[in-house]
Amino acid sequence: MASTTVGRGRPATGPARRRGMLGWFDPRGRRLGGLAFILNRLTGLGLVVYLYLHLMILSLLVQGPNAWDDFVDIALSPPFLALDVFLLTGMLIHGLNGIRVGLVGLGLVASRQKALFIAAMVIAAFVALVGALRIFGGE
Amino acid sequence: MTTDQRPADRPDAGPRNAPVFVFQVISGAALLVLLGLHMVAQHFIVPTGLRFYEDVIAWLRNPVMIAVEVAFLVFVTYHALAGVRAILFDFGFSERTERRITNILWVVGIVTVVYGVALFAAILNAAA
Repeated sequence: MASTTVGRGRPATGPARRRGMLGWFDPRGRRLGGLAFILNRLTGLGLVVYLYLHLMILSLLVQGPNAWDDFVDIALSPPFLALDVFLLTGMLIHGLNGIRVGLVGLGLVASRQKALFIAAMVIAAFVALVGALRIFGGE
Repeated sequence: MTTDQRPADRPDAGPRNAPVFVFQVISGAALLVLLGLHMVAQHFIVPTGLRFYEDVIAWLRNPVMIAVEVAFLVFVTYHALAGVRAILFDFGFSERTERRITNILWVVGIVTVVYGVALFAAILNAAA
């Protein structure tokens, strides 16, 4: 176990343990499994931040309609809409890649994880593009 | 399944973490459903999206929707903090520190869910 690699690209000891969290951004010696690992964790961390940000924003509702509607006006500005697209993309990457991690981790389709990852990212890109068009199209 | 076939991002350094991984998969699957409901209902059912104050309040006054949102909050909080735990455990802390991290994250999770439920109640009270 100690000398094997886990999946493709991540040493059993973990890049964070080996090089600190900055090791996640080090592309040297990484293969597709390593990229999936980094993407899953970065999108996951981003979504954790968003979860607490979302709860903070929802607390504006306690202050009444004026506070909420003022926020919504800001949220409909192009920079915020771009953040919506960014959020949607992160959710898609994390969710679809998560399906792959769950399936493979439970011992299902382990030999197909590379194809699953590529398929997940293609679907994520397509849905994110459609979502971006809808978000900026205002429909 | 051999060790080599595990995905790179499976957070199980040993048998101790296996239940956390299984629950993370379960909560992740639940989130796919609940997030789908959350997104579709809030962005597609209401013609303008759930945007205006009155629409949000009407939404929260529906007991079924409150139940869905609370379930969503519970699952998303568990899933998020189990993910944070997996990342922190990658740094190779001692078992004692890992136990402390787990306990702290349980407290953070419980506070988060209680805060979220209290927030729903406060919003409805303020709108009453």
